[in-house]
Amino acid sequence: MELHNNRTPAEDYLYPFSAIMGQEEMKLALILNAIEPRIGGVLIRGEKGTAKSTAVRALRRLLPEITVVRGCPCLCDPGSALHACPRCAGKIKAGDYTESAYVKVPLVTLPLNATEEMVTGSLDIEFAMRKGQRRFQPGLLARVNRGILYIDEVNLLDDHLVDIILDAAASGVNIVEREGLSYLHPSRFILVGTMNPEEGALRPQLLDRFGLCVEIGGEGNLDSRVRLMEMRESYDNNPVEFASRHLSEDNGIAGRIRSAGERLKGVVFPQRLLGLVSEICLQNNVAGHRADMAIKYTARALAAYEGRSAVTVSDINRVAGMAILHRRRDALPPPPPGHDNHDNHDDSGDREDRRERGQNGSVDNNDIKNQPHGNEEDRGGERDGTEEDYQGGLPDPEPPSEEDEPSGTAEQVFEPGRTFRVQRITQEKDRLVRRGSGRRTRTRTTQKTGRYVKSIHSDKYPDIAIDATIRAAAPHQGSRKKENGMAVSIRRDDIRRKIREKRIGNFLLFIVDASGSMGAKARMIATKGAILSLLLDAYQKRDKVAMVTFSQRKAAVNLPPTSSVELAVRQLSEMPVGGRTPMSEGLLKGFNLLRVHLVKEASSRPIAIIVTDGRANVPIDDRLSPQDEALRIAGEMSGEKRIKFIVIDTEEKAVVRFGLAARLAAALGAEHFSFNDLMAGDIINIVRRNIR
Amino acid sequence: MTGRTMYPFNAIVGQDEMKLALILNIINPHIAGALVRGEKGTAKSTAVRALADILPLIDVVKGCPYQMSRAGDPGVCRDCDNTGCAEEIFNGNGVDVVRRKVRVVELPVSATEDRVVGTMDIEHALSKGKKRFEPGILAAAHRGILYVDEINLLDDHVVDVLLDAAAMGVNTVEREGVSFSHPARFTLVGTMNPEEGELRPQLLDRFGLCVSIEGSRNHAERVAVMERRIAFEDDPDVFCLKWKEESARTAERIESAIKLYPEVEIEREKLFSIATQCMEAGVDGHRGDIITLKTAKTLAAWNGRVHVTDEDIEVAAGLALPHRMRRQPFEEIGKGRRGGGYAG
Repeated sequence: MELHNNRTPAEDYLYPFSAIMGQEEMKLALILNAIEPRIGGVLIRGEKGTAKSTAVRALRRLLPEITVVRGCPCLCDPGSALHACPRCAGKIKAGDYTESAYVKVPLVTLPLNATEEMVTGSLDIEFAMRKGQRRFQPGLLARVNRGILYIDEVNLLDDHLVDIILDAAASGVNIVEREGLSYLHPSRFILVGTMNPEEGALRPQLLDRFGLCVEIGGEGNLDSRVRLMEMRESYDNNPVEFASRHLSEDNGIAGRIRSAGERLKGVVFPQRLLGLVSEICLQNNVAGHRADMAIKYTARALAAYEGRSAVTVSDINRVAGMAILHRRRDALPPPPPGHDNHDNHDDSGDREDRRERGQNGSVDNNDIKNQPHGNEEDRGGERDGTEEDYQGGLPDPEPPSEEDEPSGTAEQVFEPGRTFRVQRITQEKDRLVRRGSGRRTRTRTTQKTGRYVKSIHSDKYPDIAIDATIRAAAPHQGSRKKENGMAVSIRRDDIRRKIREKRIGNFLLFIVDASGSMGAKARMIATKGAILSLLLDAYQKRDKVAMVTFSQRKAAVNLPPTSSVELAVRQLSEMPVGGRTPMSEGLLKGFNLLRVHLVKEASSRPIAIIVTDGRANVPIDDRLSPQDEALRIAGEMSGEKRIKFIVIDTEEKAVVRFGLAARLAAALGAEHFSFNDLMAGDIINIVRRNIR
Repeated sequence: MTGRTMYPFNAIVGQDEMKLALILNIINPHIAGALVRGEKGTAKSTAVRALADILPLIDVVKGCPYQMSRAGDPGVCRDCDNTGCAEEIFNGNGVDVVRRKVRVVELPVSATEDRVVGTMDIEHALSKGKKRFEPGILAAAHRGILYVDEINLLDDHVVDVLLDAAAMGVNTVEREGVSFSHPARFTLVGTMNPEEGELRPQLLDRFGLCVSIEGSRNHAERVAVMERRIAFEDDPDVFCLKWKEESARTAERIESAIKLYPEVEIEREKLFSIATQCMEAGVDGHRGDIITLKTAKTLAAWNGRVHVTDEDIEVAAGLALPHRMRRQPFEEIGKGRRGGGYAG
């Protein structure tokens, strides 16, 4: 079956593995995975243009060979009935002679646009049409059995595919129940993925599936940069020649991988080092036990690769970072240096305790544990509220420099403060179909554009799923009469329609209080930082944003709805603060904007984020108290159920609190976060809890 | 892109940086594309469409939907059922190879994913009862130029597909009953109006060069723009005829630059100067270095030289780096440092 040949039209032209400059950790991780599949794969995380994809594709040439049952689409191992597909398992158990063959470990690429049935496998159309019988056609999960599943830009993979992959990865089998077929086959594979964190994060569950994770960056050294340019240039000038020049080096690595694979069984993992492994995992608050196993297997593979017969402490130290990087509680990429120095002193006592309990306290694994951790909310009972105040990466309540005090009416401009990561704010997924594009909220779509997720039985819509239709018709071909020379006869009830799904961006409206009462420098900086974080998130989700500010005696739409988050950020950093607080007008302006938006896109569900301390002192109608007026308007606004309101309260924690923003939130029916919630980074979870 | 008469490339007034970026890409496809950022009505699209005028010739198997230069590729041709050439080879006959111009393939913003990557050939399935892959836009664009107007408005999942193909140079299809892969190496040319939103960093990085253009502030130039446009609209054919000679000259110059390119040399110190520039500019990764080098070499070839000068490097850096510099989140592109201008 040609299915499994590792189809690479241009394998000879691939950039050779041994010619990749630097990136030693990535190369090592890939090699170790080739030696020991049980490590469970590697996630390569890094900026653009750092040879991520190049390395994985080059790996193909280095992979060892495995014995397979000839002709089996799942590449079953003739030596093991346990993990074989039903057909082979029967033969192997019965002791039937099964012809075996050698193939390279398959490396299968999962394209981002794959459809579900191609991944799981489905009815063999051609066979069904010719013979009128159902036969299972193996999909990508069969081809990748015992091999490597490579997903480029894995963080962009659609959720429905992620679910399938996770399911197979967890159980080691792929169960297909569709189109009248019921089939089960083994699907044990190594996941290799690359991602650029700028494009958004990975689902934690998928993240945990990767045995190792390496973070890579560009070369900082001038010489190696030049060397790299030269190599690349000579490769581009004549790829075949270049590849053949590195052939012997590549073969050398391949040979080492092969012999390491043979030696692996004999490599001893000393019992006393197990304590060290669990020590490392404990200290880094790793979730689950997968990290322990990954460290163990990786260290063994490393020892085998280096030709030793026992694992040493330094093996463990070399690989532990890779196994832990993505599993520490925060699982965030390390923030830029300089942001993470204030979380040390408090932890140290705690760590000392653990070290005493552990048996190998002397080992130096500073590089691992000094990496920052962000969300620590579930680190266990021993840590409590007292430390909520210094969580890394959040806007700093009191920046070191305090030159100018707020002066009431004068307008000032503050730069935005630090940004942090916002997690998913999304509207509920419903059955409404929508138009649009973006990345925030998933929706069914009527346009012929979204991802084709599945098909249903229907003849109403023009968007016919031709594959599913033919599949439905195929088994009946034998009995049906052919018409007008067509090879396939399709009846009305065969027709299937595509269901497409896509994410659309939401409309986020920021209503920002820029009055004097907000002008305390530290507070405004932090507030701007918080808004900036939400904007960063908005970018990744391709939202439309708009901003209304109110200060002095008026409210203004200083950013009309736009997809250009850049513009929003510029507006934000230039936004002056000062003067009185015409909150009513601000709310009204914002509400009008939302209403216009809802007229244009009736099915959209905008989110309004109101950033204020709740203090109002300029009414629209002079006869009313400004505060009451604002609340009344808020009450009116809450009648529009399609809008989600969020109030971010910037009032400082003090002995006397007015709680005005809380009242505003109540009137709006909005979620209310105090500024301190925000500081603790909890906006994420609170918002998620309430919005999703 | 035939049928309509195109505005001649050389008749575009000003916008030298954009024209240079496009020409360099034609000479050296390894530069990996150009992004043209600019306000409305600055001849962005006109320039790209007009490229057809000056493109060089390549060898292509006649009728090959995958634009292969020779038949018999084990990966693609074995599974290709679209032309009769598999049979021809089987029968020991040769396959016709024709010479044609490099193509500009346009990807409309509204394109669906299946049109882009290709899908199952419905007609073939219904009439013959067999599966066959119907190639999409990515197959048509192999060895050519893939042009996306308003690329920042492109649907997100189509962008993902583009990224996938651009990164691999291969389009892998696993959908709707077909499993197929074919080479898809193309020069990506995009235009965009930054007011409508920015491009995703990952996609941005795929563009070798980036130019920002604006309407001319020069009185005489603006008048020239109007005059030429009116002349073109009045009688396109006559207008093109007038420019034909100049187009031919440009095409010739491109051809000779292509021939010269392999001979272009660069001294090692100059590589250091490129690396230093890139590090100072704080670009992510190494693509900036590599593209700057290639662009500088191509510039030298374009100017008929076999040695790269410092000026080449400066111009190249100005084209290759502005969109790669590490920015504050959302800082505008090109802010902070503008490289050397046009020196064509």
